Formats: sequence, structure tokens, C-alpha cells
Amino acid sequence: MATTSSQKLIRCVIVTPEQTVLDTKATRVILPLDDGSRGIAAGHAPFIGRLGAGQVQLLGVAGGTGAETTISTFIDGGFTEVGHNEVTVITQHASDSGSIDPSEAKEELEQLCKQKAVGDEQINALLQAESTARARLRAARTKNKS
Amino acid sequence: MANARALDRRRRSVRNIRKITRTMELIATARFKKAMDRSVAARDYTEHLAKILKNIAAVGGNLSHPLLQIRPTQRSAVLVLTGNRGLCGGYNSNAVRQAMGLLGEHSSDETETHVTVSGKRGINALKFRGITVDAEHLNFEDKPAFSEVAPIGESYLKSYIEGDIDRLDVVYTRFVNIAKQEAVAETLLPLQPPKNEETSVSPVGHLASEEYDFYPSAESILEEILPASFQSRLFKCFLDSAVSEQVARMVAMKGATENASGIIKDLSRRYNRARQSQITGEIMEILGGVEALKK
Repeated sequence: MATTSSQKLIRCVIVTPEQTVLDTKATRVILPLDDGSRGIAAGHAPFIGRLGAGQVQLLGVAGGTGAETTISTFIDGGFTEVGHNEVTVITQHASDSGSIDPSEAKEELEQLCKQKAVGDEQINALLQAESTARARLRAARTKNKS
Repeated sequence: MANARALDRRRRSVRNIRKITRTMELIATARFKKAMDRSVAARDYTEHLAKILKNIAAVGGNLSHPLLQIRPTQRSAVLVLTGNRGLCGGYNSNAVRQAMGLLGEHSSDETETHVTVSGKRGINALKFRGITVDAEHLNFEDKPAFSEVAPIGESYLKSYIEGDIDRLDVVYTRFVNIAKQEAVAETLLPLQPPKNEETSVSPVGHLASEEYDFYPSAESILEEILPASFQSRLFKCFLDSAVSEQVARMVAMKGATENASGIIKDLSRRYNRARQSQITGEIMEILGGVEALKK
């Protein structure tokens, strides 16, 4: 039973306003939800969720195993719709995690940390930008390790 | 009868013009295909957003959000999308005419109107008609990028939520199909509720009736999804305009090339006739000379 379910694939689609970035099948998908990551395997209950900045990771692309069958894409917030072995990620920006330069991401974060904000609105915007920058840096570092 | 040499010169210049219009037609065709591909690629995003909105509407029942509230219009914003270049038939003038109609309505309602125009042609045409253009964009060509459109949308959202504007209309050329594009004025803010979503969106049957869970909550998703949906609609307006411009240019240049061919044919006929009559005249002169010598 366990072997059959592990071979079941989920279709994962990442769309941005400009194009469909990714449309492939994988055994597991890790989504960066608003309040933490969530792993999706075949047969997951349908839900619609809000995404935070982070990496969408596809493990076992096309049913394969090993590190080379992992795809990770950095997204900057958005939504996800999970249902019937299909994961749709709707986001405004998506980029391959490997294309992020760690030193650049670090610099960006440091720049943001130096900035000062006044008023609720500005503070919130800055905090948001900082958490995105942190997630970018994290994405860049994990990619380099693997 | 005009002299043969002048006719030949004209024919040569028309030939050169035909070469140019033909090239422009080919370029417009290539650009149209690219713009069309981009437009098709962008459709997925809109469809998925609409699907989620529909699901929220089905579960959440009443949708309330500042972007959906209809307020009495006191201050409105108008965004007019035209091209930077001409030679594309009625593309620019139709959009400008549509905009003038809308602005006329606003001024008769005594609504304070903030006008933003994209495209050199539209800016000049509206200024010529005595309209004050409050903001201009010149950076949109045949490939509008989402990253360029997003800040514009962002600023409209901000002013709508803060109450600086009560309504946003976008005047653009909608791409219906390759044979039909029409200049339209569309109200983007307040957002139309998801019920009135475009009919082209066909939700997958089994998913529409599905019970979804919402993380963190339907309201919180709605709060985020409505601005995204507005942004994608605004982006679609830009994409449609870009596609329509290329189609309009393609058609206009095809017409121009055909016209040039017609003129060349006509000029050739006149040139041949002029040349022939010149030759006939010369022969007559020679014959006249011979006759005179005989005597």
C-alpha cells in the first residue's frame, strides 16, 4: 500500500501574471504557506491557502528519486490551490532558487535592516520586505549547500 | 500628358515606399505573434485567480472588501492606453475618441477627473483637444512587463482605498479576434464581484463544487486576492492593447502595400503610354522631315 501511494504523482503548476513557469509532476511538494511550510503528498485534502515568501520545493520530479530530481523555485507570496492531486501556485514573481546570488541577497537584507520607517504602514511594508529578503537569502543558501 | 521621366521618378519613389510598408507589415506580423503568445500565457493566471475567487464566493457567501464597495463618484481616474507610434490605422484615434466620450461624460457629471495616458500618440492627441494630462507613460511598447504595470496598479489601489479616487476607468483597445479589435472603456475599480467574472473562464466541474479549506481564512485570502485580481486585469488591458496595436499596424501596412502596388500599376501604364506617344511623335516628325526632303 505504502509503495503504491509513494508512486502516485501530484501535478504542480506555478503561474505568474506573465507565464506558466512550471508544470510538472512530482511525488511531494513543499509549499511555503503564510505561517510555515506544508508538505503535500498525493491524496491531500483540498485547500486554498495564502503563501508567504519562500521556496516551493518539488521532490521526486517525474517519480524519480535522489537530489537531482528536486526542483526549487523561489516565490514572493501569492496563493495556492490544492485539490485532486494537483497543486497550483499563483504568484506575482517566481524565480529559480539557483539563480539567486547569496552575497547579493545578503547585501539586500543588510540594506533593508539599515532603513528606518515611520508610521504603521511604512513599518509593515519594511517588515514585509525584510522577511522576503530573509527568505531569499535562505533560499540562496540552501541551494548552495545542496 | 506628363513626361515619361517624371512618371518614372514617381514610380520609383512609390516602389521604395512599398518596400518600407511591406517590411513594416512583416515586422508587425512577427511582433503580433509574440504579443499574442504573451497574452495567451498570461491567461492562465487570470483563470486560476477567477477560480479561487469563485470558490471563496461559494463558501464565504457575502463578500465585502473596500475594493468591492461602490461609492458615489466624485473623483475618478481615467487611464488611456495608446501607442507610441502611428501608422497603425484607426488604433490610436479610436482609443482617443473613446476617451474623449468618457471624459465628456465625467465633465458633464462634474466629476473631478485625473487623466493618465500611456503612449505618445494619445498624449499629443488629448493635449491637442485641450485635456490636461496629469501623468504620462512612454515606456510601454509591444512587450509590457508585469513589473512595469504593477507599480501603476499599486498606486491606483492605494488612492482608491484612501478615498482619493472613487472610480477607475481604463480606455484600451480590446482584442476580440484577429479581425476585430474595439476601443472600450472598462471600469476596473470598484472591482466587479466575482459573479460577473468573464464567461470564458470555465472552472473544472468537479473542483467548483469541491469543499475547500482556507488557510488562514477565507477573508484573509480575499484581502490578498482582490488586489492581485485587479492587477491581473490591468495587466490584461496592457497586453490586449499591445496585441491590438500590432494587428492594427499589420492590417494598415497590408492596405498600404496593396495601395502602393495599385499606384505602381497605374503609373506604369501612364508611363508606357507617355513613352509610346513620345516615340510616335518622334516618328511622325521624322516622316514629316522625309516628306519635306522628297519635295
